[in-house]
Order: sequence, then structure tokens, then C-alpha cells
Amino acid sequence: MRQLLRSDIYENLMMALGTLRANKLRSALTVVGVVIGVWTVMAIASIISGIDEAVKKAVESFGTRSIIISKFDPGIHVGRRSREERMRKNLTYDDAIALRALPTIETSMPLLDITNNFFGSKLNVSANGKTSSAVRLQGTLPDYDRAGIMIISQGRWFSQFENDNNEEVCVIGSTVADTFFPTQSPLDQTIQIGGSNFRVLGVFEPREQLGGGGTGTNDQNNVIYIPYNVAHKLKPDAEQVTILAIARAGQMDEAVDQVTDMLRVRRSVSFSQPNDFGISTAESIISQFRSITAGIALAMVAISSVGLMVGGIGVMNIMLVSVTERTREIGMRKAIGARRKDILWQFLIEAATLTGFGGLVGLLMGWATTLLIRLFVPSYVPVWAPIAGFVASVGIGIVFGLWPAWKAARLDPIEALRYE
Amino acid sequence: MESPATIEPRALEHGDLLAHDAVPAALISMRDIWKTYEMGEEPLHALRGVSFDVQRGEYLAIIGPSGSGKSTLMNLIGCLDTPSQGRYWINGKLVSEMDDDELAHIRNKEIGFVFQTFNLLARATALHNVELPLIYAGISSADRHERAKNALSSVELSDRMMHRPNELSGGQRQRVAIARALVNHPSLLLADEPTGALDSHTSIEIMNLFERLHAEGNTIIVVTHEPDIASRAHRVIAIRDGQIEKDEKIR
Repeated sequence: MRQLLRSDIYENLMMALGTLRANKLRSALTVVGVVIGVWTVMAIASIISGIDEAVKKAVESFGTRSIIISKFDPGIHVGRRSREERMRKNLTYDDAIALRALPTIETSMPLLDITNNFFGSKLNVSANGKTSSAVRLQGTLPDYDRAGIMIISQGRWFSQFENDNNEEVCVIGSTVADTFFPTQSPLDQTIQIGGSNFRVLGVFEPREQLGGGGTGTNDQNNVIYIPYNVAHKLKPDAEQVTILAIARAGQMDEAVDQVTDMLRVRRSVSFSQPNDFGISTAESIISQFRSITAGIALAMVAISSVGLMVGGIGVMNIMLVSVTERTREIGMRKAIGARRKDILWQFLIEAATLTGFGGLVGLLMGWATTLLIRLFVPSYVPVWAPIAGFVASVGIGIVFGLWPAWKAARLDPIEALRYE
Repeated sequence: MESPATIEPRALEHGDLLAHDAVPAALISMRDIWKTYEMGEEPLHALRGVSFDVQRGEYLAIIGPSGSGKSTLMNLIGCLDTPSQGRYWINGKLVSEMDDDELAHIRNKEIGFVFQTFNLLARATALHNVELPLIYAGISSADRHERAKNALSSVELSDRMMHRPNELSGGQRQRVAIARALVNHPSLLLADEPTGALDSHTSIEIMNLFERLHAEGNTIIVVTHEPDIASRAHRVIAIRDGQIEKDEKIR
């Protein structure tokens, strides 16, 4: 401590700031790399954490007890599916009903998406003289109400009786209600779907959506639910059934195992084969997403550390110049009693101040970027990001300043005083 | 029991007292100082057995043509370098065998340097420049201010404390440098061509200041090649070819 007091960090800091002020342009150019490095860290951290938060919220609103079973493997998919995946059998209505027998399953139901068929033809929806083909059409059973995903704000769900009797009734999302019935209550109004007249039984509460949601079929409130049987009749070529199973509280893991076992038996998957269907939960979707963002984050850290390295080399260069320019000053300081240690500290602190300053500028720019991003998606900067950014930038100064500072500290005072 | 004759002589440590060489009472005591540089094949002897004492309160000039070993001697007196051979005490401390950090400490405590080209920090105020040795002495900020102010007023620069070197005349700059040299109350003021960068009028002003400082009890050594400057001292040592050619009291 006594040693540190003697080299007087505060004095050195003031001196370093003086040097920075005197060489504004040079200092600014030197720390560009550091600024960009820290800025990238901040911006990426805020984007990723923001998306992460939004995805978590969106997926969890699907229900933490929901198990979604589909023909294909879950996850983000690029390009054509594998031959094995394309050859898989469809899931069926009967599969969905059979799962209800499992002790850990509260209920389960099929979901039949009839928005577009295999060839992409869409069903038109019209009412009040307006027509749209961008409404998502889902056929399901009244048990869907118990999944707690869509909440009725007006009216009611259709009943099992209405499903069994092929009654043309529907429950509509808030966007549908706003589009077709902007001025009146949609309840008991008629809406035309693929040429048939459907009676509106209920309206959903608007759902909060990821990043404010999209438009058309990407808007999760632009949706109409109709009885499964009617959907099947309306579009007989739609055959991809998805199953939504709701686990009993606290039995999620067991439920996933039981559903998997039952479906393997029903689909005659032999003991040594992998599942020929996809099964996902809110938790599995989030962890899958996290593995993607972690990869992106890692790549970004690599990119920003390249920036920091480049910045570090710039700092080393400028510090070497500074040591040479100030050789006589170093000689004088040694003559009046500075030890090697004192000179070493002086230049280390100067380098760290330089990069620390760059780090601060990077933090400010990163913060501004976060504010900008917030206009589009909810985002926040995790506490570790600015701390890590600042520590890294100061650290870069110390690491890359070490050699120039050591060179300065080792100068012979006589030679240094004689230097022209 | 070992007989005294078989005891291995241990390496000398600085501060060791030897029977034939007790700590001298003089401020500066040089005994048979050699400085040899290895330059190629032939070793170059910059100093060849220089011995002299300087008492407290003396005003000494060291003169000699360039290449005489005058600068080498000054560097040794200033503890910027150590001799190849011989022993050197300053204020009772044997500095000829000290390491870098110990020498830095001695320079800080015992010696006040005045350079030909002032060597002030261009971006710092006169006050800060004068404070510099006190920073390395580990003195608190409040004390530093007080002592630096006193040192500046002793060279009649109280009204220029917040000026930077480029706002000062040559003579004023050298006075700031002298204040810096005095601020830590050194045993010795060591000036290397202190008027070399000044016009004759300002030179006289600076030499008058040295005279006053001497009258106030400071020990001063001026290294110069100008006879005018040397003649202001009370004793002159002339160096030639690495040896003392002449050592005379002139006042």
C-alpha cells in the first residue's frame, strides 16, 4: 500500500488525463478498436438478452404444462426435411384421444391447421363485406380451453356436443374481431369461412406477442378456432395433426416420458429406433433457443475480442511513441528520484486510462444502441455487460501497455537526459 | 574453532565500516574513483583515480574541456551512475555500491538537480513541476503544495505559480527548476551548465541566485566549461583526461 501511495495513482491519473487532452486526435484514433469492441459487447448483450426474455415470455405463455407433439422434429429448420422425416406417418385424432388415458395427462387434443394445405391454397374468411386469406384457422376440441393458452374475454368456447354434431361455430381472436367487426359486438354474428357460414360464439383476449407480433398469419391474435370435425370436413386434404397434451401439475417430466412411450407403441417404433415424432415443451423450446443465442453470443465475443486486440496493438504502438517522445522527461523524473516502479506505474496507468476512456465511450454508444433497439424489441443490458466491457478495456491497456512501460522504466537516466 | 586466517572475506555491503576507511565527515567524499567503459577492444577510462572531499556549505565549480571526464564525474556525484572502482560517500552514505532503487532514493533525498535545458514538464504548472520530487518522496498532497509554494517564493516566483513553462521566460524557467531542486531540502545542489541556455543578462541573474542560496547555507556544485561561471564559485576543480588537474580555492 505504501508503495502504491508513493507512486500516487491519483497523480498519475491526472497526468494521464492531461496527456490525453493534449493529444486528442491521436488518443481518439488509438482507442477506436477498443470503442468498437466494447460497443459490440454491449449491443450484442442487450439484443440477446432482450430476445431471450421475449422468447421466454412468449413460450411460457403457451403454458408451462403444455406438451406439443408434431410429426416433425421441433426446432428451427433450414432447407428440406430429411427423407426419414418426410416418410413419417401423420399423427391422428385417435392418438390425441388415446393420450387422455395416461395418468399424468390432464387432457389432450388434436390441432388441425387448415390455413393452407400442402399446395399452399388458402381458405378465404369474410364478413361484413371484408375478405381476408391471412387468418390462421385451427380446428380443435373444446378441451383446448383448459390449456389456458387462449383466454375468452366475451362469449364462450364451443362444446363437445357442437363438435360432435358438426355445428359451424367459431371463437375468434382479437385481431379478427377488430378487422371484421370494428363497431359492433362480434358475438352471434356470422363469418364466412371457405364458403360456409360460422356463428361467432366467443372472442379471445388479445395475447401479448413476441416483439409486438407480426401481421397476417404471423399475428397470433389473427386466429379463428373451429370444432375439429368441421375443420376436417372443410378441408379434407389437410392432414397434419398436431397434438397438444396438458400435463398434471408437477408431473411434467413423467408426462413427457409417458406420452413418448405411448406414441412409440401406437406408431410401432421398434426398440432400437429413435422417435419418429417431435415432442417439445416450453422448457425444451427455451433451452433450444438458448443454445442458438449462446452460439451467437460466443461468435460476437470472438468478433469483439478481435476489435479489442486491434485496439490493444494500437495502444502499444502509441505508448511506444509516447515513451520515445518523453525520453528526456523520463530521465528528469529518474534524476529527481523516480524509481523504475514509479515510471512503470506512470505509463501503465496512462495506457489503462487511454483504453478505459475508450471503454467508457463504447459503453455510452452501447447504451445508446440499447435505447434504439428498445424501440423495436424489449431489451435490457445485463449488469455484467458494462462491467465486463470496462474491465476488459482497462485490462487491454494494462496488458498492451506493459511492454512500453517496462521499456520506459528500464531507461538509463544518463542516456535519457542526453536524448535529443 | 576457526582461526581468523581461514575466515572467508564476505562481500562488502554498503555502509560497512572498514578500519582504515571510517565514514568521512565531509558531505562528499570520493576515494580513488575510476570509471571505465568497455568500448570495443580498448577499455575507455573516463575517470582515472579521482579523489576529493567537499565540505558542507562549499560552493564548488567543476570545469574541464569536453571529453575530460567532467560529465562522467557529474553523473557520479549526482548518483545517476556508479563508479567502476573506488568508493563514494554522500552525507555519510556509501553510494558506490547501491542498486538502482537505492540510488533513486538518494537522488530524491540528497541531491537537487539543475539542468542546462531546465527539463520542466511542459504541460504542468510551475507549482506542479516543483511538487514532482515530493511526489516521489511520498509526501501528502497538502504538504506538497505548501512546500512547493515556499520553494517558489524563495526564488521570487510566487506570482507565477500557476503558469506553464511556455508562459515563462528562460530565466524564470530556470528559477522554477531551481525551486524544484531545492524543494526536498537536499544536501547538495548540483547544476549542469545552468546558464548554457540563457543569455548573459539572465545568466548573471541566475548566478546571483546561486550566490544567495550559497549564502543561505546550501552546498552547491556547478559543472561548467565557462570560466566566467566557474569564477563565481569559491573553489574550482579542473578535470583533464579523467584526472584532477587542479583543485584550488579562489575565494
